[in-house]
Amino acid sequence: MGLKDKKSKQTNSSNQQQHQNGGHFSPFKFAKLVDPDASWDKDQLGDVLHWIRQIVALLCGLIWGAIPLIGGIWIVIFLVISSALIYGYYAMLLKVDEEDFGGHGALLQEGLFASITLFLLAWTLVYSLGHF
Amino acid sequence: MASNLIFTQSKYSDSLTIVAISIFTAIICESISYLLIYRTNSYKSLKSTIDKASKKLETLKKSKTKKIDRFETNLKESNRDLSMFKFKSGAVVALILFVVFKFLSNLFEGKAVAKLPFVPFKIVQKMSHRGLEGEDFTDCAMAFLYFLCSISIRTNLQKFLGFSPPRGAAAAGLFAMPDVKNE
Repeated sequence: MGLKDKKSKQTNSSNQQQHQNGGHFSPFKFAKLVDPDASWDKDQLGDVLHWIRQIVALLCGLIWGAIPLIGGIWIVIFLVISSALIYGYYAMLLKVDEEDFGGHGALLQEGLFASITLFLLAWTLVYSLGHF
Repeated sequence: MASNLIFTQSKYSDSLTIVAISIFTAIICESISYLLIYRTNSYKSLKSTIDKASKKLETLKKSKTKKIDRFETNLKESNRDLSMFKFKSGAVVALILFVVFKFLSNLFEGKAVAKLPFVPFKIVQKMSHRGLEGEDFTDCAMAFLYFLCSISIRTNLQKFLGFSPPRGAAAAGLFAMPDVKNE
């Protein structure tokens, strides 16, 4: 409990200023992505989870379109895989206290809809172009 | 080179045209949004106000003080102002999107531009099978592919450029109304 409290502390004003300067232009140490001792700002963590979802969506779409995997069940499987990876990342790797970031729902829904559309787009395009 | 040749010979090579047009349209729309909305002092001020109010509200919710109502009201008013501000300037973007959609609609009318690897739900078929003949619901119409392109490309482009709406605005809702005090 004490460790989670320490990790969930808000960052200082320099991080806030960095984020206000723009999305991806903020200086960001990639080592922080796998550092369980790093402290996270809500916006930063949300952005990271968003991009992880997009990368997973793109990879799944490309792979499943290439094999190809067919059927609506694979949309459900994608959602399960994507959500499990996100949950594993913030809960087990980063060990953040989800209560300080709006709960599991808020973290799991970061970038969800965009990732679904990106997955469907990639899956459909690779399937259509590669097999017909 | 070989892959490009294969794709152009594909039965569904038109899908690449739709993707390319979607990317181009998204860039144009975000450029216009930047000129009309994002670079203005009004938007920057509103966004900053919402960000600060959201963070303050989260802090207050933890301590459960009576100031929460006041901050929530201020946040809702700021969100409403932001929505109205973006709505006025967004009319130009909406017009462009409409024109592009009509153009693509005429260009690919009655033609399947892709093959879906799944059968969509009935309600989705109204878009995915729009204007297509036959009962093969894995045939994909331009409307659905354009929808997927628009959402995925524009959302991620906005995120990449830092033009996404503040999370406080998303939480409060687009049409949040100010609280009416009964006292």
